[in-house]
Amino acid sequence: MTEDRNHINAVPGEETQGQAEDKKGMKAKDIKAISKRQTAGKIFVQIGIYAFLTVIALLILFPFYFMLISSVKTTAEYNEMVPTLWPREFRWSTYAAAFTGDLHLGQLFLNTVIVGVVSTLLSLVVTVLSAYAFARLEFRGKNVLFAALLATMMIPGELFTVTNYITVVNWLDWRNTFAALIVPFLVSVFYIYLLRQNFMQIPNELYLAAKVDGTSDIKYLWKVMIPLSAPTLISITILKMMGAWNSYIWPKLVANDLAHRLVTVGLRSGAFQGANGLTDIPAQMAAVVLVTIPLLLVFLFFRKYIMRGVSRSGIKG
Amino acid sequence: MKVVLEHLTKIFPSRDKDKSAEVVAVNDFNLEIPDGKLIGLLGPSGCGKSTTLFMISGLQAPTSGKIFFGEDEVTTLAPENRGIGLVFQNYALYPHMTVQQNILFPLQNLKGENRLSKEEMLTRANEVAKLVQIDKFMNRKPSELSGGQQQRVAIARALVKMPRVLLLDEPLSNLDARLRLQTREEIRRIQRDTQITTIFVTHDQEEAMSISDYIVVMKLGVIMQTGKPQWVYDDPANLFVAKFLGTPPINVFTGKVENEKLYIGDEAVLDVKGVEDQEVYIGVRPEGFLLNANGKLTCSVSGIDVMGRDISVVSTNAASLNPVVRSIIAADEMGNVAGEVKFNLKEHKVFVFNKETEERVYFGKQVAAHEEMVAQMKAEGQNVTPHNGPLPREADDKVQDNRPAEQQQGFSGKVKGAFARVKGVFTKKKGTAEEEAQSAPEETADKAESEAKE
Amino acid sequence: MSKTKEKPKNNWRAWLYLAPALIILLVFTVWPIINTVRIAFLNSYNGLAERGGATFEFGFYNFEYVVSISGFSRSLGNTLLITVITVPVSTMLALLIAVALNSIKPFRKIFQTIFFLPYVTNAIAIGMVFFAMFHTVTLGSQTLSTGIINSIIQAFGGKPVNWIDAGSSWGHNMAVVCIYIIWNALPFKILVLLGGLQSVNKQYYDAAKVDGASRFRIFWRITVPMLSPMIAYVVITGFIGGFKEYNSVVGILGETMGPAGGDRQLNTMAGCIYDSLNDGFQGYAAAAALILFAIIFAVTMINLYVSKKKVHY
Repeated sequence: MTEDRNHINAVPGEETQGQAEDKKGMKAKDIKAISKRQTAGKIFVQIGIYAFLTVIALLILFPFYFMLISSVKTTAEYNEMVPTLWPREFRWSTYAAAFTGDLHLGQLFLNTVIVGVVSTLLSLVVTVLSAYAFARLEFRGKNVLFAALLATMMIPGELFTVTNYITVVNWLDWRNTFAALIVPFLVSVFYIYLLRQNFMQIPNELYLAAKVDGTSDIKYLWKVMIPLSAPTLISITILKMMGAWNSYIWPKLVANDLAHRLVTVGLRSGAFQGANGLTDIPAQMAAVVLVTIPLLLVFLFFRKYIMRGVSRSGIKG
Repeated sequence: MKVVLEHLTKIFPSRDKDKSAEVVAVNDFNLEIPDGKLIGLLGPSGCGKSTTLFMISGLQAPTSGKIFFGEDEVTTLAPENRGIGLVFQNYALYPHMTVQQNILFPLQNLKGENRLSKEEMLTRANEVAKLVQIDKFMNRKPSELSGGQQQRVAIARALVKMPRVLLLDEPLSNLDARLRLQTREEIRRIQRDTQITTIFVTHDQEEAMSISDYIVVMKLGVIMQTGKPQWVYDDPANLFVAKFLGTPPINVFTGKVENEKLYIGDEAVLDVKGVEDQEVYIGVRPEGFLLNANGKLTCSVSGIDVMGRDISVVSTNAASLNPVVRSIIAADEMGNVAGEVKFNLKEHKVFVFNKETEERVYFGKQVAAHEEMVAQMKAEGQNVTPHNGPLPREADDKVQDNRPAEQQQGFSGKVKGAFARVKGVFTKKKGTAEEEAQSAPEETADKAESEAKE
Repeated sequence: MSKTKEKPKNNWRAWLYLAPALIILLVFTVWPIINTVRIAFLNSYNGLAERGGATFEFGFYNFEYVVSISGFSRSLGNTLLITVITVPVSTMLALLIAVALNSIKPFRKIFQTIFFLPYVTNAIAIGMVFFAMFHTVTLGSQTLSTGIINSIIQAFGGKPVNWIDAGSSWGHNMAVVCIYIIWNALPFKILVLLGGLQSVNKQYYDAAKVDGASRFRIFWRITVPMLSPMIAYVVITGFIGGFKEYNSVVGILGETMGPAGGDRQLNTMAGCIYDSLNDGFQGYAAAAALILFAIIFAVTMINLYVSKKKVHY
């Protein structure tokens, strides 16, 4: 023990001795063994954790990998008894065929983008206006109305689908129109709720300051509230676009002609007929890749917004 | 269980690889803590006292240095193998468990031969609960308890395993003023009853002084002084310690020693035989003033705070580093206090510090008193070196980079720092209340200092 | 809200701003709630016929019919089974993954990104990939390829299984569908649970360490109780999603809701509703939708009741 230690021990000699006898201290060997075991245990656990995560990651990635390699195999290679893990021969024509063949993927993309963009834009306008009214304006019955809207969120979509189908097909005669794909889903109570919460966080003083400067409500909305809520609006935009890209049931029910068919519906009903009457799975996988890639790209670019939007909504597509 | 810390150092690496940004939280810390005592680690925020505590607990690993419990080196042991109890600043009681489950939790984790039977566990839990007087609340959840009660549960949980060392991190900071007084007595009592070596961390000097057997004053990761609270208060080793201890805080003046006379401003206040000429800081405890019509120190009174038995005279003096000079005198002398007052100074309440090193300069009877104190300390086994190497000052500013730059200045009174410090006073509001409380004495001094310079 | 905003002139303006949303909600959300209930109780209701002037008798025929058909009870069974299998398994797995992710530093971001990938995919499209993975290619009576999954099974010495092709058993179909749903459900659950883990005060873990708790005990006694609100959330949303399951089955097995040429042996509750709609029996669809709603409502209430008892704080 070194000299420069600050002793504040009243009676140092006695204390240490008595103690060594009193409470049997751990022996130096034991301590070394324990600390060795500790480090070994820690490393072992870390290795275990990484191994576990790696296995799960491989399981998650496997379908993507399978989809990619299968999409460029020749049908013959794909149909071999022992599947190859990397294509011997790359056949890119499947990708071109997705656009030129019966699938008309180009048309499907176009339809989907039209529906996605138009419904997103209209939806944003409607959502912003309503959220503004709920967050900033006072009117009779506001709280009751808002609560009633929130209550509708608890009802499963299938219940709406039945009547909406009748309304759109039997009464509005919108079968095979873009309107049928866009209008019924224009308003999402959840998005209004999200945006309203966001608007409410903007301090009142900003509004009063703008009023003093003679700013109109609309200008205030446009210049202050919307920029401040940009992250939420971006989340809404992306989720809405993804919704259009992934929607299946409703488009299939109301708009299944080529001019209005959405990409998922087309993909599922595509024939992908190959030689010998067998399904040309590589061609099918190529189409699947083409449908999947845009989503993955959007995800990679807007990861933050998607994850934030998702963790709050828990609603897929 | 005796606790020994040898050359303990903790360096937090900087996030980018810039070496200059790394933080030396604890710097070559050497300390021997005797068995069965209550030790207060005292210092302003960012002085490394919590880091030291967490290194003792095993939750943080030291960058270098060794920790011994008794004769056993525990430096590399995980917390659970050290036999310690730790009470967190905000208690960290498991919110989903009842008081009883919280206290039982450490016992239920015991394995092998140490494992107790269910009855033994319950008996033990009940004993500890009785000790800290929460046995009535065993079935409540922590959220149903007051702050003080939660604190006791936390202590009970820490004690139930019969730790060799009990560690408390700012145990009283989350309590209101009234509970604080009560709880610190409680901690003192529990420690006396259990005789467990206890180390607690606090930034409140009053708290540390009132219950500790020994205090360790820290600044910027370095020990400034150790000893019994009264020793440290009566015989501070340097300006920092003098300023950190005592309420109201010590009055600090700039001055000089010339021809064996001590000057505050232009006034020679004391004879200092045998002291060389030098620029100095002079610290005068508030109780060190004697009202005297022929007194040597002249101050102009700006107010009087009546405190009952005593009064606190608030006055100003050009040489004071604090905005006001506070002196405590008997209430019956109140009639003599108005306009200009003159004081004589009690020699043993006046501390002189070299302006450059901020180290104590002993004079007159103090030399003998200090030597006597040192002898006594030596007799009790305490090393007389109050700190290791030079005092941490500007050169160590990086150590404490969690505080605004202007607060990190020492007391050297360099003019270049003055402007920054004035700014610091104005930006003070932004700090948390806690920070403010801690840095307040320093800042007021800084402010006065900068005003004096301008 | 402060009183400064309480001006009467805002009254009409608020309604103006709300008008587009309210009109659409009225037509496509409020009306369906009323009307679906209405037509569920109109025997053999058909929208086109009603527009043509037909009237329908009030009664319970739709319900009686829907419940009586064999497809419905099978769909109900399938849906229940899917939910009961996939929700606990995926929640448990997601919890383990989240805890593992939370305890590492290097590569955490990469792992997190990988684990989120299934979320940003098209359920139908990747369902088709799963189909291909389990699909046995046969030409006439000759088996060309047993599919990648069977190849893996064979590599480990197992026997190939007819997972999803014509003549495959209900159990095998169900296994594939459940695997896919779990694969698909993980990202959301991991995201929520990891978010929850990161908001747990680190001091509880320090305290548990000092108290000498083993990793296993920390997991059960600290992590799970602390996460219980998040776990309840993913379980409840998982149950709701499970009862509405449709896309995963369609993705893998197609609109036949079972192996080709089969009798829709993997049909689900939602599937029943869409089948009735497709067939023009909107009354049946409405009745089925109401039954689905009732089940979801009941299960959610039970879930909430249980979680109120089990969820801490």
